Parts: sequence; structure tokens; C-alpha cells
Amino acid sequence: MFELKKGAFVVDELKNVSIRIGKVVEEEEEWEEAGPTIKPGILELRKWDHKLLDRYEPFYAPMQDFCNLCTMGPCDLSMNKKGACGIDLKTAKARLVTIACCIGASAHTAHARHLLDHLIEEYGEDLPIDLGGNVNVEAPLIRTVVGIKPRTLGDLREALEWAEREIVKVLHSTHIGNEESFVDYESKSMHVSMADHVGMEVADIAQIVAFNLPKAEPNTPLVDTGFGIVDRSKPTIVVVGHNVMYARPISDYLEEQGRLDDFEIAGLCCTAHDMTRYNARAKIFGPIYYQLRVIRAGLPDVVVSDEQCIRADLLDACKKAGIPLIATSDAAARGLPDVSDWPVEKIVDALVSGKLPGVFLPVPEKVGQVAPLVAEAVFRKHGGERKYRFFESDEQLMEEIKKCTQCMNCVFTCPHSLRIDQGMAHAQKTGDLSKLAKLEEICIACGKCEQVCPKNIKIINVIMRSNYDNLYNKTGKTRVGRGPIQDTEIRKVGQPIVFGQIPGVIAAVGCINYPDEMRSIVEILEEFLKRRYIVVTSGCHAMDIGMIKDEEGKTLYEKYPGDFDAGGLVNVGSCVSNSHIAGAAIKIANIFAMRPLRGNYAEIADYVLNRVGAVGFSWGPYSHKAASIATGFNRLGVPVVVGPHGTKYRRAYIGKPWKKDKWWVYDIKSRQKVNIEPAPDSLLVAVETKEEAIVQLARLCIRPNDTAQGRQIKLTHYIELHQKYYGDLPDDWHLYVRSEADLPLKQKEELLKVLEKQYGWKIDWDKKKILEGPIRQYDAGFNPTLVEEVYEKYTRR
Amino acid sequence: MMVNKEEKFPVAKRFDVADVQVSRDATAIKPKVVANMIKKAKRPLLITGGQLLKDEKLVDFAVKFAEKGIPVAATAGSSKPLIEKGVKPVCKTYTLHQITQFLLDEEFQGFDGQGNYDTVIFLGFLPYYLSRMLSSLKHFSKITTIAIDEFYQPHAKFSFTNLTKDRELYYSMLQEVLENL
Repeated sequence: MFELKKGAFVVDELKNVSIRIGKVVEEEEEWEEAGPTIKPGILELRKWDHKLLDRYEPFYAPMQDFCNLCTMGPCDLSMNKKGACGIDLKTAKARLVTIACCIGASAHTAHARHLLDHLIEEYGEDLPIDLGGNVNVEAPLIRTVVGIKPRTLGDLREALEWAEREIVKVLHSTHIGNEESFVDYESKSMHVSMADHVGMEVADIAQIVAFNLPKAEPNTPLVDTGFGIVDRSKPTIVVVGHNVMYARPISDYLEEQGRLDDFEIAGLCCTAHDMTRYNARAKIFGPIYYQLRVIRAGLPDVVVSDEQCIRADLLDACKKAGIPLIATSDAAARGLPDVSDWPVEKIVDALVSGKLPGVFLPVPEKVGQVAPLVAEAVFRKHGGERKYRFFESDEQLMEEIKKCTQCMNCVFTCPHSLRIDQGMAHAQKTGDLSKLAKLEEICIACGKCEQVCPKNIKIINVIMRSNYDNLYNKTGKTRVGRGPIQDTEIRKVGQPIVFGQIPGVIAAVGCINYPDEMRSIVEILEEFLKRRYIVVTSGCHAMDIGMIKDEEGKTLYEKYPGDFDAGGLVNVGSCVSNSHIAGAAIKIANIFAMRPLRGNYAEIADYVLNRVGAVGFSWGPYSHKAASIATGFNRLGVPVVVGPHGTKYRRAYIGKPWKKDKWWVYDIKSRQKVNIEPAPDSLLVAVETKEEAIVQLARLCIRPNDTAQGRQIKLTHYIELHQKYYGDLPDDWHLYVRSEADLPLKQKEELLKVLEKQYGWKIDWDKKKILEGPIRQYDAGFNPTLVEEVYEKYTRR
Repeated sequence: MMVNKEEKFPVAKRFDVADVQVSRDATAIKPKVVANMIKKAKRPLLITGGQLLKDEKLVDFAVKFAEKGIPVAATAGSSKPLIEKGVKPVCKTYTLHQITQFLLDEEFQGFDGQGNYDTVIFLGFLPYYLSRMLSSLKHFSKITTIAIDEFYQPHAKFSFTNLTKDRELYYSMLQEVLENL
């Protein structure tokens, strides 16, 4: 037997020859002219990255000042010293961030790989990619980066293979003795994060088409969300993680049995989102920090875990609460025996009898049968009697509180430095639990406090029980994740976003490590919804929004429509659905501005940076995935604001508005290099308070290409919000004024006076015109780019 | 200069036991020493943070620093209560993250164009957020950093010790700094 290589062959006089045909390569449809960077390697977009990094200089805030990654160390790198391998502190930090982005990218990409292999096996590689009638640009990231237009599940393999290859290459660069430049490490972290976005797009497209999840529908159903959502008289199956592939058959099995109504299926983290996308009768308990709340309250009768952002001590927590665990993903086998080959009855018996505290069962169809059977049997055993309130009685709670000696070990280990000691002392003296109850609103239930308590106080249980009624009633509705943004929606909003009449798109994405109460995320976003920005959300942020109600008992989802339009609140879905947010920015360049996508990443990112007033927002980032998602957005020209815990990623991209030589573009119209206003002036920056988050988000929506009307609208919001929350005009508002037409109408005269008096601008008071002062004049035909090739391409025409 | 066990001040304990580095930890210092260092500084700057929005007394102390002629860069919305009490911060818009990035740059000429600051005092921040900025300044600049929050900040050059058990003692220390300025 021999194998023919790819190509055309003539074989004469065939006898006794069997021919096996591998992949049939069809002649590719010429859908768009190929751009310069199809399937880019590490170097192809390096020039673009360096452009960004020259303007938005990397900032490093070391967590550790030593390195112990190899056996030559540990090395003291403090004060930017070099280690035994020659790496200095800045470069070592850049390498760590690159590794974090590799972890994030591989999480989404491995998720995509799991899904795609499984779905191709189940549905075949020819399953068409159909995202609904209003979505023709089905995979904007894949088109732009990989240069293909996927038509079937099988086509997605090519994109995934590219992403996997690039992740390995970037991970290789983090080995000892490789990169010397922190800027080049940043370029690599951007590259691997772009691969992350591709991986996310593959995963979500695959599951949308195979599982028939909502296809860009703005008005998806509202589902119950929060701690107190389940009917206690039913067996409860809790699914936790980020890959719905394993838990989905539970819903199918119960539906087949006609027993969906006899059970509660509720989820934690993104598997919850995707379960509700699959079946809107599923419910959402909450994000990762609800894991210990839910488990210790004894709410589940069985827990089904898959992968990512799950507690590493899940089995231990379940065991202590007497809850059987079914682990499903090879990313987290949890030391459990693999029971894939066991008959269903044997697995159920082992779990219900307690012979095994948990099993590893990576076979989705079997999980679908086992989980309900276990839940029902466990429910029957306890007869619905569960210790829902963390302690058997109030007396038991007070006994626990009395143990506290205010040693403060808990405070010095708490990620939020919560004053647990004060809450305990107050309760000891007065019996009043209110100070402890207040802590529940911020506590992420990590449990570190319990590890250091010399009295072994169950601090999490004390805090949760103290605020039990509020916790139980913090329930509401989340609008089911809709997946992509429609092309028709982009056609409608593309122009107002690019011209600035829609003042911005705020993409609230990410985890739950908030610096403040959960309510703060809602307060921040509502400020923008009221002002008719477009607010997009996903993941943990999206479900927290569904728990907080206003005085009339409504969540933001019930107050604002799900359209991608001014004043809309769009839940795209789970972590991997974030690709649709990046995709929407790309589609604006493509559908509205007719910029070609295929292999044309730098041009598209340059378009987004200069024209699309979108800002990412992660109020409580903690995961590696959040690092790669944010960095991927940064490469695409979208700035991201993170909460204060985000500084622990160690790296930010912060420009210096006072360095005038950093703020320039080529103007295709005038064919000149033009100095511009510093808009946006940071690509990744942390804020401390909700007030600061609001102001930063508003200012980072400003773009060089804003029309006069658009700039006027954006400046109006920025100045109003600054005055509302900071008590005065911004320090930098004048930098964004190109002509008097940019000024907010209501404050025009007052602001002209400030420009003259404070900044020395020349004003013609008869005509109320600015004569001298701005960085540049407004020009309606201004056509900015940072990319030489783009400049040459469009000036040639 | 250092706080020791015999005195009224508690022993310095980092705000997060795991926030450990191999380089020097902050020297825990008494209020009078803080005052002397500020007096000796050629270009001091007080940066205020978001905790001023939760503790009015911190606002009052920041106002007094401003009255003593220390320029104030207000972050995170702390400008609002300060402006209401007559302070004119030299910076209101930028975050601590951005300001730290500016401070790290030898070309930065300060918010008044008169040159970078040699001594920066931090008041009213979430401890973990401030810690990262102090770490950056420790490793990549020569600026003298002084943390006068209620938590001991290991990556500052100088810090108040831990005063978390006794808020009144903390306030009295801030008062003592001001009285000696």
C-alpha cells in the first residue's frame, strides 16, 4: 500500500487496486480577495502589535519579584534585576502574562475541540452552519483571522487546527532562553489571545448549530436566576462548569421520559447559561462564587461538573455535604474512578449507596441517565429534608460565632480584607447579625478564611446564614443568551456607532471578583442603558445582572430590550459567546464600511481602534480566560476597563496623553500624518470604584473618527458623568475638542469661556467659534489609520 | 524610626499574608517620621483613593493635607467630596493605575509641568489595588512611596503599621502627621 500525496494523478491500467478517498477538497468559492495575513503566525501581526504597544505602553505590577520556574533559580529579579537565565523582572512578568493568556486560550480552544469532535461524531461533518436568516457573516473572527468561510461543522476543524498550532507556538516561546523583549512577549500574548477568540467562535458556532441554541434572536426567554430558585419538593440536579456537552443529555433524557417537570435542573457558571440556551426550563443558580453557597446549603441532590472555573475542592465540598459528584471532563477527573464501562445501574448504586463519593464519567449519554436516577434516589433517601440554612438552628449558629477571638487571621487572608472580626464581635456583643450579613454581599466564598481560623469556625456558613433571607430572595430573571448579533442589526447601528451618535458599546464581560456588592455591576450598567449606549454582556456578569431587582422587582433584563441597538441589553451567552462581541465589532467594519475581512486583521483592528466606540468592562476579573479575552479585545483595538483585582494580572496597557508624539495617525484623505487627540488613551486599565468605572468607560468610548455630532454626544455624556461623580469638569475634556461643534450644546458658552481662560484658546465671540487651540481641526472626510499598508492601499485608489 | 512591639502601635503585618516578595518590605514608621519625610520632599504629592467615598474622616484629613500645601491628585471619584470642601485637586480624571504609569516615566513633568514627584503619599485605597501600584513603583522607579492607610503595605518604601483593630488610633496617627507638618 502506498499513499498518494495531494495533487492530480493519472493511473493507467488499474488492476486489483482499491482506492480509499480521504478528504475531498472542493474548489474553494472565491468569496473575497485574500488579505495579507491568512492564518497568521507569530510574526505576521507583530508590526501591528508594536504600533499598539508603542502608544499603549505595557505597565507591570509584579505580584512576586522572583522567578522559580527553572532549576537555576530561584532568582531574585527585584528592581528589574536579571535572573540566572538573563531574564529581567519586566520580561518575566510579560512572560507570565503570556502564559496566563495561553492557559485562557487553551481552555476555550480545548473546549471547542471537545465539542467539535463530539458533535461531528454525533451529527456528521456536513451539518451546515446556519445561524439564522439574518446572519450571513457567520464567523467574522474565523473569516478575518483564518481566511475561510466555514459552511459546515467539518469546516470549523481548519480554524481550530490553526488556533491549536498557534497556542503551542506561543507556549513554546515562554520556555527558558527564548524571548528577550517584554514588548515581543506582549505581542505573543496578543497573538495567542486572538487565537483564543477564534477558539471561542468555533465552540459557540458548533454548539449553536448542533444543539439548536438561539440563533441571534433578541427576544429570548427569561429564566429564573439566583440562590432561591429551586422548588425544594423536587430532586435537584446541579450542573457546574463551562462545557454543556456533558450535561445536555440530562435534559434530553428527562424530556424523553416525560419527566422534565419532576426535576429541577439548575446550573452554576457558564454551563448554566448554555443549559438555558438549550432548554429554557433550566435555571441559573449563579456564578462560581455561588458554588459553596449552593453545596453547603445542601441544595443539590447530585452535582455534575465539567471544566474550568470550578472549585478545585469540589469533591471534598460535595462529600462533606453528602452530595454525589459526577465529574465528566478530562480536564478535571478529580481523582475519581473512570466508570465509563460500567452499566448505568452499577454507577447509580455506587453513588446513591455512598460506596463512591463521586465518579468520573466522560460519556455524555450516560451522564444523561445517571444524574436523574441518582438525584431521585438521593432525594428519596432524605425525603426532602435538607439543611437549607447552613446550620441546624440559630443556637448552633451563635455557638459558632462565640468561638471567634478576633485574632484577625481571616481578615489578613481574605481577598477583600473583609472585616469578619468586626461582624463576629458585634454579633457576640449584641446578637445582631447585620454586620455579618453585610459581608455576604461581597464575599466570594473562597473559604481561605476557614483554612486559617484557629478555632475552625465555619466562617462561610456563618456569613451565609446571617444573610440567609436576603440571599434566598436575591432572585430574578436572566434573558437567555442569544448568540451572535444579526447582520441586519449591524446595518442599522453601524453608522451611528462609527459616527458617534450611539455614544458607545459597553461590553460587560467576565468574572465575579468585584470590589463591591454585586449590585454595583447593575448600577454601573444602568447608567449607560439610560443614556442609550448599547450594553452587551456574557458569562458571570450576565447572570449577576439577573439577580438584582429594582424597587419594582424588575431586573435590567425586564427593563431593557435584548436588541443590539441604543438602550439595548444584549446577553450573548456563555464565555465562548464572547466571540460574538468581537464579531460584532468586526462586522461593523465589514457590513457597514465594506472593509474586506479575509486575512485582513490589521486593517480591521485599525478600523475598530479608530472608529468603533466599544469598550470592554470586566468589573470582577479573576480567571486566565478573562486575561486572554481582554488581551484579544486589545489586539482588535477595543480598550478594556477592569475592576481593581484586575491589577493582579500584573500587566496593563496605558498610554500617556501628555506624550504628544505618541498620538498620531495617517489621514488617507489629506495624505498627511496628523496629530490626534488621545482617544482612547488606554487599552487596559483598572479602576477602583464604580464611580471611576463609569467615568472611564464613558471617556474610553471617544474615537478619532467621531463626527462633530457624535463627538458632541460622547463629550456630553463624559462631561456630565464626570461632573456627577467627580464634582467638576474632566482634566482632559479640552483635548477632545476639535471645533465648537464638538461642544455639548447646553454648556457651549460656558465651556468656550473655560477654553479661553484656562487653556488660552482663541475664541471669536461674535461667531462663537474656536480660532486657535485644538490639537487638530475637525474634517468631515478624515480617514485615519495607523497602518502603513492600509494607508498605501487606499491612497493608491 | 521603626515601630516596635513596646510602643502603642501594633506590629506591622502585611494586609494579605500571601503578598510576599523577596525584596525589602516597607519600613513601618511613626506619624512624626511621615511628617518629616513630607517636609523634606522637594516635590511631594498626595494621591487619594476611593475609600474617601466611604469614610468622611479621610476626606477631612485629605483636606488638611491640601491646606498644608501638599498637592492632591484625587482618583476614583474622591475629587467630589474634596472639591465640595474647597480643595482643588491637581488631577481628578486619571485612575491610580494611570497616574502610576505616569510616575514611572522619567519624562513625566508632574501635573503642573514643574517636574516629577519625589515623594508620593497614598491615602484611602483598597489595599490589594494599592499594593500592586506600590510594587510597580518599588521595582521600576526611585520615588519614595509612603502608605498612610490603615493596612500595612509591604511594597511601599514606608508605611503605617497595621491599625485595623483600632480605627481611632489610625485617625490619631493621621492627625499627628498633620500636626507635625
